[in-house]
Amino acid sequence: MINFFIVLFIVSLIYLSKVEMVKSYFMLMAMQGILLFGLAYFELKEIDLVHLLFILLETLVFKAIFVPLFLQRVTKNRIHRHHNAPIKGYYSVLITAVIVIGCFMISYEIHDELTINADHQVKYFTAAISSILVGLFIAINNRDLITHLIGYLVIENGIFLLSLGLGAEMPMFVNSAILLDIFTSVLIMGIFFNKMKDYFQNADSGQLSQLKD
Amino acid sequence: MIYLFFILTAVLAILTYFIRQRVLSHVMVFLYVALMMVLAVHLWPQPGQSLNAYFYSDRLGLIFYFILILVSLLSAIHYMKFVVDRNVKVADVALHNAGTIFFTGAIVGVLFTSHFGILWAFMEATTLGASVLIYHNRNQDALEATWKYLYVCSIGIAIAFAGVLFLGFAAQQVGHIDFSFAAIKAEAGQLNTVWLKACFLLIVTGFSVKMGLVPLFNVDIDAKDASPSQVGASLSSVLMNAGFIAIYRFYEAFSGTSILPWMNKLLMIVGLLSLFFAAVYVLRVKNVKRMFAYSSMEHASLVMIAFSCGGLGYFAAILHLVMHSLVKSSLFFQVSQMHRIFNSKLDENIGSYLRVNPLGGLVMLLGFLSIIAMPPSGMLISELYMFQALVAKNYWWVALIVLLLVLIIIYGLAVKMLGIIFLKKNTASINMQGASPYESILQLILIIIVFYIGLFRPPFIVDTILVAIQSLPA
Repeated sequence: MINFFIVLFIVSLIYLSKVEMVKSYFMLMAMQGILLFGLAYFELKEIDLVHLLFILLETLVFKAIFVPLFLQRVTKNRIHRHHNAPIKGYYSVLITAVIVIGCFMISYEIHDELTINADHQVKYFTAAISSILVGLFIAINNRDLITHLIGYLVIENGIFLLSLGLGAEMPMFVNSAILLDIFTSVLIMGIFFNKMKDYFQNADSGQLSQLKD
Repeated sequence: MIYLFFILTAVLAILTYFIRQRVLSHVMVFLYVALMMVLAVHLWPQPGQSLNAYFYSDRLGLIFYFILILVSLLSAIHYMKFVVDRNVKVADVALHNAGTIFFTGAIVGVLFTSHFGILWAFMEATTLGASVLIYHNRNQDALEATWKYLYVCSIGIAIAFAGVLFLGFAAQQVGHIDFSFAAIKAEAGQLNTVWLKACFLLIVTGFSVKMGLVPLFNVDIDAKDASPSQVGASLSSVLMNAGFIAIYRFYEAFSGTSILPWMNKLLMIVGLLSLFFAAVYVLRVKNVKRMFAYSSMEHASLVMIAFSCGGLGYFAAILHLVMHSLVKSSLFFQVSQMHRIFNSKLDENIGSYLRVNPLGGLVMLLGFLSIIAMPPSGMLISELYMFQALVAKNYWWVALIVLLLVLIIIYGLAVKMLGIIFLKKNTASINMQGASPYESILQLILIIIVFYIGLFRPPFIVDTILVAIQSLPA
């Protein structure tokens, strides 16, 4: 089951790089949230109940429901299609595929040297690092601020996967602090995103060039 | 006590946000500074002691904590004047003061935590607090700077968190995962060095945005430019110190392992690259605030280079940070006054400052002499120690490159600063009501402290820094 979820997660990454409709981004973010929920459930069954509930809440409520709905509300369904990506369509799919394959090869090659405990950590490692790199790629390849936000969330999902690969957990206090921080940063970014749209007619990072030497 | 402090921080920040009365809002910030002083009195007698499972107070944290108290106090005083001059709306004052309390509280957490996870969480909290402060002016520049800062910092902090998780992978191989400094330091010798190197690389990359170093320095410069000057002062001093201490905690934990020379090389490369970019940009910059921001980047680079040498370099780095915090805050505070008088941040619109505002001009002149490390500035001493450390390590070529780049920066700063202080220019309008003697006197005191440290090297300060770095390899 874990394998199935990881493969689906990687497929969602590849699909993310191809997407043009902003609405599809929100759908994919919700899907990734649900996949992470499934992974967390199967991976962390053995930890204590409160901890498990907290992580399930984080993935299902925060990642799969709150964030996509919040972003949809922020954009008020006014932005339908993102634009200006220098690398378009199938080329970006190709690049994402290369990133995923590269991450798998590197993870597989070095897992002996790094003495990663189990083979399944290689899978987590591949998906996590791919997600971080694909997130960076999405952010760099697009000029729309909303895709920048999506890129950030994909990176965050990658980091969540990395922490799942770790298996054991940080103390509850630390986990809560981390979740609160990410929650607030998404909230504040959403608020600023709205203000940006008021100032700069469309939400294009190309217009953010007032500050220079 | 420390938990009570954080609870009170949250309560004060929330209360301040809802206060719709300017004076009362300022009083809340002063109340918070007083609370910080109480905590300082509580922590000073017990250095190195664990306060609870997640916090401890060591000498380095306390040194930066005292600077935090001083800079916060002066920022609060300067902000009062700023509010009156700009006629800032009550709601904006409330948000700014609440943001200040939140931001300062987050830095206190960074300074005193003994857990890598908590360190990360407080670091992220500083980003959120700083965003509120940077957005203060509510104009297009502020919005652009805030968005960029928030976004790039969040990416940087996410990268740093990946570093913390890599440390977890390393720790997992030798048994249990405990992210406390003491546990990691005790086990560091058995940990896989590839994981440790990857962890340290990601930590330096992620927290570079806080220190204003390569690779994520750009947003830091924009933030210092677009925010009010007293915020720029905090970003250039206390936040830089927080960024340093975050990197320092990882460095200290791994310093007993075989990757020590590798970490030193990495810090030296980061320092040299940052110094190079600072030198390139400082020559072309026209905006005084950006110029000081690049100067901060130069000093952060020098700190990293000194630190990478080890031994005397450790001492030089921390002494340099202490003095830079005082001088740079003072200069940023003065820029606020200069901006009020000339209504411009561009060097071409500002001239004869010493004649127009003698006391403010004196602050600018002495501050300028300090940041270029001219005697009797204390920063000369720390830079000399840095070169001594480089030579002791036989890094002659590095010393020469650093010397060359520092000379370029001094030239770039001198051309603009001497023009601002002495040269008569066609300034459009001068508003002398912006001059504030009591503000300049406070700034002058900070610079005199740095001169005093340079001339007399008080044993109290020297001994405190030596105790702070005694856990590092000789």
